[in-house]
Amino acid sequence: MFRTDRVLGLLPLDWRLELTRYPIVRQLLKSRWMPFLLLAFNLFMFTVILMAAWIGGVGAGNYNFGIMIIWILWWVVLMMILVPGLSRFWCTVCPLPLVGEWLQRLTLVGVRHDPKKGNLFAGFKKRWPKSLSNMWVMNFLFLGTTFFSAFFTTRPVGTFVLLFSIIILSIVLSVIYHKRTFCLYVCPISGFQALYSNFAMTEVRVKDPTICRDHKSKGCVVGNASGYGCPWLLLPYKFTRNTYCGMCFECFKTCEYDNMALNLRPPGTDLLVDEGRHLDEAYKAFIMLGIAVTFFVTMQGPWGFLKDWVNMATLPGYFAFIALHAAWCLVVIPAIFLAFVWWGHRRAGPCEVPLKKAYINFSYTLVPLGLAAWVAFSWGIILPNGSYLLHTLSDPFAWGWNLLGTARVPWTPVFTGLMPWLEIGTMVVGLLFALDFAYKLAVQTYREPAVVNRAVFPMLLFLTLATAGLTWLFIG
Amino acid sequence: MPPEPKLQPPPGRWGSVLAWVLVLAASVFTIAAALLYERGRTADRRIVEIRAQAPEKGNFYPQRIELAAGERVRLRVRNVDTVGHGFAIPALNVGIAEIKPGEVALFDITVPEQGSEYEFFCTVWCSQDHMQMRGRLAVLPAQARR
Repeated sequence: MFRTDRVLGLLPLDWRLELTRYPIVRQLLKSRWMPFLLLAFNLFMFTVILMAAWIGGVGAGNYNFGIMIIWILWWVVLMMILVPGLSRFWCTVCPLPLVGEWLQRLTLVGVRHDPKKGNLFAGFKKRWPKSLSNMWVMNFLFLGTTFFSAFFTTRPVGTFVLLFSIIILSIVLSVIYHKRTFCLYVCPISGFQALYSNFAMTEVRVKDPTICRDHKSKGCVVGNASGYGCPWLLLPYKFTRNTYCGMCFECFKTCEYDNMALNLRPPGTDLLVDEGRHLDEAYKAFIMLGIAVTFFVTMQGPWGFLKDWVNMATLPGYFAFIALHAAWCLVVIPAIFLAFVWWGHRRAGPCEVPLKKAYINFSYTLVPLGLAAWVAFSWGIILPNGSYLLHTLSDPFAWGWNLLGTARVPWTPVFTGLMPWLEIGTMVVGLLFALDFAYKLAVQTYREPAVVNRAVFPMLLFLTLATAGLTWLFIG
Repeated sequence: MPPEPKLQPPPGRWGSVLAWVLVLAASVFTIAAALLYERGRTADRRIVEIRAQAPEKGNFYPQRIELAAGERVRLRVRNVDTVGHGFAIPALNVGIAEIKPGEVALFDITVPEQGSEYEFFCTVWCSQDHMQMRGRLAVLPAQARR
């Protein structure tokens, strides 16, 4: 199983299927109507979501379109399909920063360009502080939103407040800072997609680096009359990992030589890119794993007193939840992980690899494991509650409509008998990937085969124990 | 030598117009269309919304409804609680066994010409104060019709 050149010993790491070699895909990505048409459709969906969430007020959210589409459909599709399959495709079609981006560009599908000045933008065009140009803000914002998870996910107005706050924040920051600063460094939804997209089975990359090397005008960076320079402030001709690529496809439009490719690839290949790894990304992995556990325990677990804490039944209980949840994500998980990495480091014997580097490198094993935990958690959302979608699609504002004839469909859990098996299967697959990448990362970190074998054992043990613990939690 | 440059021009003026039409259709027109559709659906009657919550959380709200005699009304009972509730006005032959949390029940009635007040109440044992979950529908003279 442990081969450094293949994923799970099967698929070569360098295998790629270039989707843009098909003319229809290439034309689609080069057109300025892509992703605009998808954005327009999502704008329609989010208009209905916001309206339904506002009308729903503080009532129970079971039959609310906003709650159901966001937390039952979108979240599950995001974790199960979009992120592992299509990387950050959600960012491609996310309508939340649409107004902010329009305020910068002052056009929806056109390109404001001056041959001498380049792309033209409105706003103050300030640069985001370098010290915050990482995932820390997103880490704390996302963790912060989970403190109010009961309000956001069960009360329609909570969903409205969350989405509306993101829209307002994106507008304010888009006016002050240049390009997609908000999406890059602030959006709480963006952060975990950034990390988990390294596991995704798609990527945007350069086809032939020599063409970029000889091409001096670099339209993908500075823009031209056909499109904008990378809105995500990257150098598309140097893409090596998915993390900060929002898949806006502007580089397909600005590349004069059709040298950008959308590739299918084996899952997880970016986890091995030893570039741009920092503690902020490691903490993102810890926080995401911690939140998955907390959410399961408080939403799907049998412990009623924890639900009361999260639901703010009493103020001391609620503060206890915040303290324990924050400590679990920011201290306990990182500390346990550090103990195992330190154990492996010690077993490795004297070497030049700093403990911090090993700690950060091995944290990427938590990407497949964390993603598996989220997918397993998602089974427990969609199978019992998916039938609510039929009702709310037919009566989105709870005004007694029956647009699709499904408004009277009663709540019907489906395939819940299969749920434990699906959860076990998901966790096993996640563990296999995590073990596989743990070994590859150990080879990358320690290099010497004998040292690798000694150093990786505690990590394999940790991942196995963590999977066993999560599986017990899900089905126990 | 790199191959020949291949760039596509962005959409022109009509493209921009079409984009704006799509954005407005997806946002402003969507809201307007929903409101107009609902207005058209209920043009022949007045909507009266009653929110249902267990008595210790707020009870029916409003607990007293005043309607004009002969008025055509759609009662929209919205369960905003986290437990199931019911709704019945036996004197008007109106009732439903259960309205689940978050669900809405609609009842179209024509307010009787005579009679002073009718009682409505919850039909599900929703809490220890369930028996207090009730309200009154008062019939005003026909001249009070809105």
